[in-house]
Amino acid sequence: MAAVIPKNLPLIRTSTPALQFLRFRGKINIQRPKEPHYERARVIAVTQPKYPEPPKAGTCFRTRAERTQQQLENPYNEIIAREVRNWLDHSKLVAIFHLNSITADEIFRVRVQLHKQNLHLKSYGRKIIGQAVEGTRYEAILPLFHSNHCIIFSPDQQKISTLLKITRKVPQMVLLGGIVEKTLLSRNELMAYAQMPGLQAAQAQLVQTLNQAAGNLVQQLQAHQNSFVQVLDVHAKGEGKADAAAEEE
Amino acid sequence: MSVPFSGALRRSGGIVSAIGKQLKSVNLKGVKRITVQFDPFAENVKSTREFLFLLSTPKVAQTNPKCVVKSDIVCDRQPSCIKFALIDSAQEQAKVKEIRFNSDNLNTLELLQLCNRHVSSLAPVEEITNKVLTKAEKQKLGGGAGAGKKVTKKK
Repeated sequence: MAAVIPKNLPLIRTSTPALQFLRFRGKINIQRPKEPHYERARVIAVTQPKYPEPPKAGTCFRTRAERTQQQLENPYNEIIAREVRNWLDHSKLVAIFHLNSITADEIFRVRVQLHKQNLHLKSYGRKIIGQAVEGTRYEAILPLFHSNHCIIFSPDQQKISTLLKITRKVPQMVLLGGIVEKTLLSRNELMAYAQMPGLQAAQAQLVQTLNQAAGNLVQQLQAHQNSFVQVLDVHAKGEGKADAAAEEE
Repeated sequence: MSVPFSGALRRSGGIVSAIGKQLKSVNLKGVKRITVQFDPFAENVKSTREFLFLLSTPKVAQTNPKCVVKSDIVCDRQPSCIKFALIDSAQEQAKVKEIRFNSDNLNTLELLQLCNRHVSSLAPVEEITNKVLTKAEKQKLGGGAGAGKKVTKKK
């Protein structure tokens, strides 16, 4: 700039202004600025920028939350919802309990006992479970989660009796219902299911029932022969005893 | 011409503090046994479940350690109800054997209010058998006699 100003013309002498350094070594203050003088504050207030509002027609049908962008749904909720769906899909036994007031110590003890039997105790919020379960076949369990609750997952449905045994000792856990192999069961049905013998025993019972019809027929046909054989047995034993008695004499 | 003041000077703390306030005055001394019966798959059992939870808190349980809270889960869509079986002295006072709340259409705050009105009032009043006097109280009792003496001594 200084090079552009011509120096040969009269009255065009320039000189660099005296430089006064304001900052010397110390830290400058920007966190607690001084209140401006009234006049200066007035000028600043008047010269504040005003931005045009978006046209009302565009924001007419949006809710206040959308207009002011108040709360965004946390994407982490979706990840947890997916985890819940995963647990529900891959466990053969799901039991849902109402939880009364319980200390963390006690519930930890229960959690350890359950873990030793490969039963997993979990608890999620109602909103997340709603997100996970809405529109799927598990929608019917939603009313169980209105109050304090916990869920127990297990990949093996034979564990129902051990589960009931462990939770019977805990008075704060109240069984509400469960899902066994994709079938929703109420509390009474779940207890009845626990009383039932295992699958192999049930199959054996079925086989026995099926054989009973044919077996009955065979028994009726052989009835006379069997009774004849028994009578002969008794007669033979009686003769044998009489012989032994006669020999002794 | 001015209208006399009506209304509250302080703002209310909301339903949660109202529930907390009711909970502080719950007294189960007059109750032998509480049975809470509900169908978990019904629509409006939230208040019953919350009430059950609040009854199981240690502060409420401490008011009467002998009182048993039993929960009865049914699955035949019966309306939910809460039964309080009273002790003998409370039975004489109230002239009923047990008090029953049908909690289908009540919310948690209303349940607690009803409980305080009908059940906590039946708690037998405890008499203080032997009161241990603190040093300050002893001085107060005996100081009335010795105060005059002390004042003259100082002078």
